Amino acid sequence: MAMKWILHPARLRLKQRLNCLRPVAILSGTRLLPEKNMSLSKRFLVAFSLMLLACSVPALGQQPAVRAEPQGQTQGKIQPPDEASPQAQTSAQLDAARKSLQQLADQVEKAENDDIRLADIKVEVDAAAKQIIAISVATRPRLDAIKARLTELGEPPPADAPPEADVVTQERKRLMAERGEINALTGTAEDLSIQATRLSNTITATRRALFSNTLLKHTTINGATLDNAIVAFNIERQQFSRSVTSWLRFVWSFKRLQLLGALFLSLCAALVLVVGTRRLFSPLVYREATSGEPGYITRLSVAFWSTMIPTTAMVVFAVTSYFFLQSFNVLRPDIAPIVAAMLATSGALVFVSTLANAVLAPRQNVWRLVRVSNQGARLLVLSIFAMAIVNGLDYLAGAIGEAMGSPVVLTVVKSLIASIITGLILMAMALIKPIVSAGETPDGRGKPWPRFISALLVLAGAGLIIAALSGYVGLARFIATQIVMTGAIVVTMYIGILTGKAVAKQNALADTVVGRYLERRFGLEQVALDQAGLAAGLAIYALVVLVFIPLILLQWGFQIADIQAWAYRIFTEIKVGSITISLVGIFVGILLFIAGFVVTRWFQRWLDGNVMARSRVDTGVRNSVKTGIGYLGLGLAGLIGISAAGLDLSSLALVAGALSLGVGFGLQNIVSNFVSGLILLVERPFKVGDWVVTGTTEGFVKRISVRATEIETFQRQTIMVPNSLFINAMVGNWTHRNKLGRSDIPVTVTYESVPRQVMDTLLEIAAAHPLVLRNPEPVAVFSAFGDSTMTFELRVYLADIVNGGGVRNELRLAIYERFREEGLGAPFPKQQAEAEPTVPETDEIEAPDVSEEQMQTVLPADSVKRSGTQRRPRRISVGGTAETD
Amino acid sequence: MKIFASACFLTVIAAFPAWSATVTNRDGEAAVLVVVEGESRMEVAISAGGTESICPSGCFITTPSGDRIGLQGDETIEIVNGSAVVK
Repeated sequence: MAMKWILHPARLRLKQRLNCLRPVAILSGTRLLPEKNMSLSKRFLVAFSLMLLACSVPALGQQPAVRAEPQGQTQGKIQPPDEASPQAQTSAQLDAARKSLQQLADQVEKAENDDIRLADIKVEVDAAAKQIIAISVATRPRLDAIKARLTELGEPPPADAPPEADVVTQERKRLMAERGEINALTGTAEDLSIQATRLSNTITATRRALFSNTLLKHTTINGATLDNAIVAFNIERQQFSRSVTSWLRFVWSFKRLQLLGALFLSLCAALVLVVGTRRLFSPLVYREATSGEPGYITRLSVAFWSTMIPTTAMVVFAVTSYFFLQSFNVLRPDIAPIVAAMLATSGALVFVSTLANAVLAPRQNVWRLVRVSNQGARLLVLSIFAMAIVNGLDYLAGAIGEAMGSPVVLTVVKSLIASIITGLILMAMALIKPIVSAGETPDGRGKPWPRFISALLVLAGAGLIIAALSGYVGLARFIATQIVMTGAIVVTMYIGILTGKAVAKQNALADTVVGRYLERRFGLEQVALDQAGLAAGLAIYALVVLVFIPLILLQWGFQIADIQAWAYRIFTEIKVGSITISLVGIFVGILLFIAGFVVTRWFQRWLDGNVMARSRVDTGVRNSVKTGIGYLGLGLAGLIGISAAGLDLSSLALVAGALSLGVGFGLQNIVSNFVSGLILLVERPFKVGDWVVTGTTEGFVKRISVRATEIETFQRQTIMVPNSLFINAMVGNWTHRNKLGRSDIPVTVTYESVPRQVMDTLLEIAAAHPLVLRNPEPVAVFSAFGDSTMTFELRVYLADIVNGGGVRNELRLAIYERFREEGLGAPFPKQQAEAEPTVPETDEIEAPDVSEEQMQTVLPADSVKRSGTQRRPRRISVGGTAETD
Repeated sequence: MKIFASACFLTVIAAFPAWSATVTNRDGEAAVLVVVEGESRMEVAISAGGTESICPSGCFITTPSGDRIGLQGDETIEIVNGSAVVK
């Protein structure tokens, strides 16, 4: 009977693959196929790159594009381009496409039962379909040209009209023929494209059927099956021991150095990883013997990293040792899949057991993430480990059976036993009493599970056993694998996400050793550390999502090619209705915008600092040019970014038209300010640093931007004045063309003084001050008769009106001192000083601007005070000095 | 500023649909296109002056004039005198 099985190993292998649900190795896509030894190392590498998050995305993105390329290139070479007409070229390309489609269809037929191969072929078929469309798109310009020329030539003249020139008829005929040719070619392309899509859909249907077949395949389990299996097992055992001993003997005699070298190198890689991470992250990863209970976050992150790091080290060891063994030619084709399965199994075991230990911490109850009793934790870890071992051994046995070409029935029986054991373990887990009630210590005996959990465990276990015994071994095995592996991955993911959240919390990183190291080494501040923590948290999220989701998908029977295609689609075209959004395009657009922005800023600085500063351009012009270039560059960068992101600028115009109504109402103010800002930049009524007065606002201009202008008042209050105010209202500028300005000081004396002497003294005082200009010279004016006082005014011109306050202050002091010395009578009204002791004094820069009539007219002192400047209230009065008396 | 930002955002969003092929019929009468997309061959009628979005991921169309053209899926097409003008 066994002989009958062995007679058709190839057929059997196919059947076997149908039957035993190719168990999926955790941490890699290692489906072990003897005929695909070469691709194993590739798969390991892919899994490795997933684990390390290394450039999986770009690789994914490029795959289909790269595949489409060579086709076009080879097709181009079929006929030299200078000889062949464009149509002939297209036809050659289409022929090549048809051939490759035919080949793909053949491959699909051959690989009917090979899910991995089918997934790969589907990617190629989709690329071919795209290629076919591209070929026919390339004919469009010629067709357009022909149509345009035909339109120029016009319709052929009717029969009774005079005949047209022979040349025209000839050309029309030729063009019509060419047009027909192109249309025929496009028709061919159309058919090919339909064919390609059909093939692609067929592949999808086949794969779906394959999956459900594998999962729901029914095998009759009876005594005969077991007998067959026992016979087959004996044969397999002999064959296996023969193969392994012969291989070991061969390796030990001829490849000893290579074997040891490979193991040494891969151990080195794993050790470097373990030691390096221990040094860097030790308190994050390893448990210190603490006296108190560590915080929840610490426990969480320790659990996550103490799972991730040993697992990663194990994966690195597995991948590198397999790689080295393969490249040193130590492995034989019959041994390689077994070694790979062993490595994958040990990786999965390390993962599950470290995770169970991390979460349940059977020996250190303070580090336990879930509240269970010590005894319960120990038993739970044990049973989880046992389930993982059973699963792993089943997987390994499947791989060995496949490598040895054993009959399907053996694999079925092995999986049957594994499923029954897993089911029993699950049911036994229901008996554990892990629950600790509030107030109890975990050392106690513990209580049984809540009823629904124990019911769930019993049901799952019983279900597995029943499914297996009733012949649905594939299903049972699938569920058993999912319980262990998917459960472990989901738990890790959950812990990882919680860890990311914890690290991203405010100031969480600063308290860790990494944080302290960064602080010491790079002198990072609190804020920078906090931001780094946020970035680290986001990076952990990304890691969790990018690593574990593909792993779960692989668990569920999806192929790497599927995941690659999805990732490619996610990054290049997300379809929402008829809209397609390309993440890569948007990202490139943003990058280009940032680059444009940086270049603009750099150009601005260079132009301002090097060119304009040296060419002695007025600061106002400099500022305008700088601002203008800034906005221009920003606009350009925006346009470039938008185009690169794939937005159609022509439809922007449409939107702008629609928006103009909104602009009319809602955005009126903003647009008005914006336009005003542009006008300000061109007209330059003031520049940065000018002293301006508008409405009730007065102060120095600090910054002119397109919407508003920043003004700093003398009290250092910053006021944003909308630009439209500067355009619509009057603006006074004290320092527009020059800083020359007049400053007035009213002086009030009693009628006992001699006016001429007072005026002469005032002029002398003014002339003695170094900042007062000689030309225009200072003027002293007898400005008003009061009831008991005469009012004089000293008007001095200053080169820089900004100094007005200081100069006035010094002049007043000098006037007071001189008048007292010369007995001229107090330069202030005595009675008034007593009568109005509260005349406000704000000693600020002030630039009175008395009109000519006011100067001539003799006014009462009071009205003179107010009329000093008509623009704004006068802030200095003689009354002020009275308080000093 | 918020208004301005949201206006910009809306503009960008409104500009996105530029991505599936848009066919506009400029003729006075309805045009019937034969669109081959994926496995199916279907007829799409576009009324005079009407606009339709077709085949976001590439297809072939046959215009009323009998010409066949391949489309990548991001073109804007006008039907003028029964024949297609790709912009």
